Amino acid sequence: MTTPVLQATAVHKHYRLGKREIPVLRGIDLSVAAGETVALLGASGAGKSTLLHVLGLLDPPSSGEVHYDGRRVDALPIGQRAALRHAQVGFVFQFYHLIPELTALQNVLLARMMATSVFAYWGQRKQARQKAIAMLEQVGLGDRLHHRPTELSGGERQRVAIARALLAEPKVVLADEPTGNLDSTTARGVVDLMFSIQQQRGLAFLLVTHDERLAQRCHRVVRMQDGVVVR
Amino acid sequence: MYRLFLAIRYLVTRPINLLGMAGITISVWALVVVVSLFTGFINVIEHHVHQASADLVVVNLPPWANSRKLVAALEADPQVAGVTTRLLHHGLLLRPGHRPPPTPLPGRSALHGGDQPFLFVQGIDPRSEAKVTGFDDWLIHADIPKELRAMDQALLPRDGLPTVLVGLQRLTREGLRVGDRLVLTTARIETDPQGRRSPRKVQFDLVVGGAFKTAHSGFDGNTVFVAADTLRQNLFPDTPDAVQEVALRVHDQQQLEATAGRLQRTVNRVLERDQYAWASVLTWREKNSGFLESVQHQRALMQVVLVVIMVVAAFLMLATLSMMVTEKVSDIGILCAMGGTPLGVTTVFLACGLVITACGIVAGTLLGIVTGIYLEEVRQALRWTTGIDLFPIDVYNLERVPSAIDPMWLLQVAGMAMATGLLVSVLPAWRASRHDPLVSLRAG
Repeated sequence: MTTPVLQATAVHKHYRLGKREIPVLRGIDLSVAAGETVALLGASGAGKSTLLHVLGLLDPPSSGEVHYDGRRVDALPIGQRAALRHAQVGFVFQFYHLIPELTALQNVLLARMMATSVFAYWGQRKQARQKAIAMLEQVGLGDRLHHRPTELSGGERQRVAIARALLAEPKVVLADEPTGNLDSTTARGVVDLMFSIQQQRGLAFLLVTHDERLAQRCHRVVRMQDGVVVR
Repeated sequence: MYRLFLAIRYLVTRPINLLGMAGITISVWALVVVVSLFTGFINVIEHHVHQASADLVVVNLPPWANSRKLVAALEADPQVAGVTTRLLHHGLLLRPGHRPPPTPLPGRSALHGGDQPFLFVQGIDPRSEAKVTGFDDWLIHADIPKELRAMDQALLPRDGLPTVLVGLQRLTREGLRVGDRLVLTTARIETDPQGRRSPRKVQFDLVVGGAFKTAHSGFDGNTVFVAADTLRQNLFPDTPDAVQEVALRVHDQQQLEATAGRLQRTVNRVLERDQYAWASVLTWREKNSGFLESVQHQRALMQVVLVVIMVVAAFLMLATLSMMVTEKVSDIGILCAMGGTPLGVTTVFLACGLVITACGIVAGTLLGIVTGIYLEEVRQALRWTTGIDLFPIDVYNLERVPSAIDPMWLLQVAGMAMATGLLVSVLPAWRASRHDPLVSLRAG
């Protein structure tokens, strides 16, 4: 049996509200293998997004463990977690989260800049640019390189966000309702694109969604309710 | 790399940040220009004051001092190039029958003088005075018209009356001509047989002998020269050798302080009163310290005022940066998701503040240097376009607005501005780093 690229073991997460402790995740066990697509389904408040943030090392678990390639990572110092997040994880969000001051190309290039110093980036800026352009062409935005987010449609913005998530060549993509803000036709196009890239690159995909039809396209569906995996 | 890249993008896409930059630019520019102006002015004023002064003076000579012995002892010093004795008094100099005008406000004539009737009357020996100061040159200054020039032997009696030399500005303003009669009204202290000392009014006639002009208009406006013998006869009739001040010229200006110290010991030895602080040897700078320090004090005050302007500009920058952080909280989440850390996010906003400050410093310093170099041209342009003369150079006997750019001051201003910029950038940057990235990721 191969080691899963991403694994959560007995993950608990609770938030404090005054003196009250509100449990959000209650003993989640989940693993995602390389090249596998997993859909996280559940009603609002089930804890899907919180689990995604914990798995993406944005939020530490209250208890339990998170492993990347068999290595425990949830207890690492903040700097190492950030570096790991950059190297191993690509995020795609419902609201795209593009930086409005930057063009599509600059938004994608920013992913490359995150882990390099000014001098290191200066030495590789041409290759980085070529790679970002290739990535944007792959998502069908070769003619929209220098447009700002406000000049792009919702679908185009999400394609830019996908290109940005993939530029650093992560092993896992965590997508939080990537089609939640798109009309059905555009959503279908974005999903087709995501699955096509996932197959080409053999990425692990963890998808948070409310959409049953989208979930059925994944290898596996994990249902959540009140902070626990029900099926 | 992303920190600097994002900081620059945030700045260039937000014109409001120009406000903070403009504030820093203006305050740096003002600090460079105003302090350059004051420094240049102080340099010029010091030069003017020195031109109108002897290098060293021995003041507070006691009445029993043997001036001949003292002068001989001072002349024996190898650094002394010339010595002269003076009598100093005050008095009202008016046309016969004229009443004095109202007393001006205190300090009104501090710099340029000339509009008050109460004057310093210097009793001098023209020959020896010329060896100590530029006295001869003051009488033939290019600005003095021919008809107002003194005769070859200045301060010789004219029509049987002693003569007085008056500053050119005062002379022309009061419409005086060579040969006009004036009355000097003053007082001398007399001791009656019971030993009581009381002032007694003394008046004597003088004739205008000509004009003089030094570079220091304050000196010209407040001083008149008469022959020492004239003052001696009228004010010290019982002391034929009366001397109140000894003025000296030295060979080497670099050794002025050392020479002053040595001559002080000579004076103490000659007066045989080491234990008492009678006569003091003062350098020209010490003699005029009140005036020179007042100008330096004005410069220090201006520096304080302008630093306050810099603080105000910094607050403007703080406001624009805080506004930007509030607007950009949505970016904090995605930066963290892409591998950023709270420290990295802090650096983005800190870099924004530092880039604004650095640009403001560079622009303000360059503008300040250019304005400092062309200050006279700026003054003329302003006068030509608006009619306002911000720096009336005639009043200070100047040919152009003085300016001296001190590289050390530029460095100090840049350092001060950078420290202020850093200080006001830290707060918004720290606030940005405290923002929970998950909140912005959930909010969208």
